[in-house]
This record gives sequence, structure tokens and C-alpha cells, in this order.
Amino acid sequence: MNNGSVYLKLENVSKHFHSSNGCLPVLEDINLEIKENEFVCIIGPSGCGKTTLLNITANLEPATSGTVLYKDKPLTFAGPDRLVIFQELGLFPWLTVQKNVEFGLKIKKMQARQRKKIADQYLRMVNLIKFKDFFIHELSGGMKQRVALARALAMDPEMLLMDEPFATLDAQTRDLLHQELQKIWHDTKKTILFVTHNVREAVCLGDRVIVLSAQPARIKTIFNINLPRPRQIESHGLMELVRPIMEELKPEIEKVTRINHE
Amino acid sequence: MIILLWQALDNLRIWPEYLFPSPLKVLESLVEGFGNRTFPIAIGISLKRILMGYGVSILLGCFLGILINKFRIINDTIGSLILGLQTLPSICWLPLSLLWFGLNEKAIIFVAIMGAIFSITIAADSSIKNIPPLYLKVGRNMGARKFSLLFRVIMPAALPYFIPGLKQGWSFAWRSLMAGELLFVNLGLGYLLMVGRELNDMSQVIAVMLVIATISIAIDKLFFGRIEAGIRKRWGLKA
Repeated sequence: MNNGSVYLKLENVSKHFHSSNGCLPVLEDINLEIKENEFVCIIGPSGCGKTTLLNITANLEPATSGTVLYKDKPLTFAGPDRLVIFQELGLFPWLTVQKNVEFGLKIKKMQARQRKKIADQYLRMVNLIKFKDFFIHELSGGMKQRVALARALAMDPEMLLMDEPFATLDAQTRDLLHQELQKIWHDTKKTILFVTHNVREAVCLGDRVIVLSAQPARIKTIFNINLPRPRQIESHGLMELVRPIMEELKPEIEKVTRINHE
Repeated sequence: MIILLWQALDNLRIWPEYLFPSPLKVLESLVEGFGNRTFPIAIGISLKRILMGYGVSILLGCFLGILINKFRIINDTIGSLILGLQTLPSICWLPLSLLWFGLNEKAIIFVAIMGAIFSITIAADSSIKNIPPLYLKVGRNMGARKFSLLFRVIMPAALPYFIPGLKQGWSFAWRSLMAGELLFVNLGLGYLLMVGRELNDMSQVIAVMLVIATISIAIDKLFFGRIEAGIRKRWGLKA
């Protein structure tokens, strides 16, 4: 289905955390290729190392072993070509919505008029143009997500790395953002790596859904999702694909629960 | 209310007039002081000194604070020295200052600088430590490096935590300046206080004290009050 060039390539990537209790393996032997314009969802039980994997691909923390290649080159610093949307977003409270969206462009030393034009364009895309002069604390959770998305898109990155961005939202807002994200992805042709613990979300959004095992995280199964887009999260076809993934995930969640109880 | 009480106490005549002047007398002194321009001139001189001293200590203090925050070795050396120096009342710098600069304007501004600089340095360092790491991660991810990170992320993110230190620095600088002006007689409001003492003019002493207190309150409310209100509005913090 996708014949684009390989953007991100992980080869035998492992990550261990060293603590006073010894060595804790978090990721083990992760091999993964993500192609241009692909939407890949990573799913696994909470605390399994999904975020660590994302941080490694963003080069925010190093892998213990293995290689990560971006367009066949070793990772350089987490530059604006691979933008992360963090779970807690990290919008700047001292800036208005518009200035937040312009932030990266300002760092690039872009002219004010050009910045405003781009910010307007993306604020329109996420339906927030009316709120451009608001401060962050004046927005709802869903609106903040949209600002974060607009801020990232304004930089025109090649790849978006999203770390459970919708986890804290109510179901209605989340469904709405799923629709918007699908549309934005379709319109902007970004490559997206999306971390979540919500199976339905993963199936709704992803071209592929990658199930991670628990502690240490290995790639357990990869599901190709060939549903037509745009997808509705309640649709029958989607629910049918959710079930086998749930089956894969369930023992891992139980494993985590067991380990945490000991 | 307080003025009425004051007048009532005055009417009881417990203390002699020259030690405990009535509010009316103080008001007279105030009017006279402003009328013959001694007060405005003294205020102008003191404000000029404090602005220079405070300005320099903000610049130097921020610079030092950032260095201490950035480099471990500076923190381990100068950092602990500064903590020690902060406990030293700034007026203790006056003898040193007089020897270094002589009997002039520089000496007194130096004392004001020393009054504020250490608390500003410490506030700059600790306010940077208070920044949620997420903002730095985001800033770096969006391409900010070194100076752009400092000016566009670190400084605005630290500002709410920095303001109390800035206020403390202000009041330290103001107090040191007044103490300096009292001891080292060369115009200014502190000098006016001493003149009042030498002339046994209690109402002038109290009038000048009122002026000094009023200036402190005005700066606090108008200057810092505005900055704080601005931050509260942006960050959505409670008053």
C-alpha cells in the first residue's frame, strides 16, 4: 500500500535503565521501519516503554544499544524535522495561542508577516482562529491539543511523534480530534508515529498497529489496518479489527499488573 | 484613623513637642520641603542612585545567576560564596566602597548594588531550577539552542518565580541606599533625615520618613504590581 522511502529505521534497539536495584531492561531488540507518509501506532500496556521508544526516535534520550537511522543517516539532535507532541503538550503559558504557534518560526528567524500567515493557516486548519489571542490557560483540553498540533505543523516537520496526546481528553473531544487528525494527516502528508494505550484509537488512526509486550518491551505483533478512510471509531469493520489486537494485548496488561503486585 | 489617633496622643501632651510632633506640624514640614524644593531634589537624587544601583544589580545578578545555574564548577565555588555574602548586611560594604571609590557617587551606588545583587543572583538561579523540564524539551525540539533557548524559553518561563527575588532585591537596595546616605553625607533622602536630626527638627525627620515609605510602596504597587498582574493574566494564576 505504501511505497514511499524509509524515514525511520530502528535496528536491534535496546534500552536499559540502571538504578540502585540493578539493571532494568525497558526495550529489547526493537526492529522497525517507518515509511514516508505512514501513520504508525504503537500500543502497549502502560509503563511498558512506549514513551521511551518515542524519546529515542526523537533523540531526546539515547538507546543503550542498536542503531536508529533517519533517512539512512544516524540520528542528529531532535531537530524541527521530527517534532514531538508530548503528552503534557508543553504549550508556553506566557504566549498567546498565535505566538505559541509562531514560536518555532521565530526561532528560525522568519519574518513577522510570514510567521503570521503560516500561523493563521494552521490555526484555521485546527479551527482555532477565533482564539488566536487567548492565553493557554483560557482554553479547554481539546483546544490545547489543537494548539500543540498547529504549533508542530507550522514548523512543517517531516515527521510527527505523538505521545498519547489524547489520553486525558473526554471521549467526545477525542473522537472529534481523531477525525481532525485523520483529515490533517491526509492533507499534509506527514509521517506520524503515534503512541497510545487505546486500541480503538490505534485502529482508527493507524496504517499499522504495533503491539509491544510488557517489561521488557519487544515488538509482539504488527497488524496492518486496511480499512478505508476516513474511519469512524464506532464502525463495525473497525470493531472487528480491535478484537484480535485486544487479545494480543490482554496477556501483556495482565503481566504488568502481576509484576506491579509483587 | 491612625492620623486621628496620632492627633489624640499629641493632644495628651505626654511627650514634648520637639520629640513628638503633631500630624499638622509634619504636614507643614512636608509642604515646606516640597515648596522650597529640598524634598523633590533629594527624591530625585536618591531615585537616580537607586535606579542605577538596582539596574546594575539586576543585570549582573541575572548574569551571575545564569552562570551559576549553567556551570557546576561556578556553582560550587562562587555559589556558596554568594550565599555567605548575602547574609552580610550591605551597609558593611560602605567602608570598603569608600576606600575603593572615595567620597563620591560611585561609592554610594556600589553599596546599593551590593544590597540587591546577591538576592537577585540567588533568585535567578533558583527560578531557573524551578522551570518544568518539559518547556526546555519542547524548546529544544522546536529548534531553540543556547541564546534563543535562554531568551525565548528559560527567561519567560522563570519570570513568575523570579519576581519575588526581584522585589526582595529592590527593598534591599533601597534600604542599603538609605543607610548609605545616612552615614555618608552627600544629598539624597537619607541625608535629609540626618539634617533633620542635626537641626532637632523632628517634624522634618518624620516627613522624610513618610516620603521614603511612600516611595517604597509606590514602586511596589505600581511597578511590581503591574508586572505581577500581567503574569497572573497570562499564566492564569490566582491573585
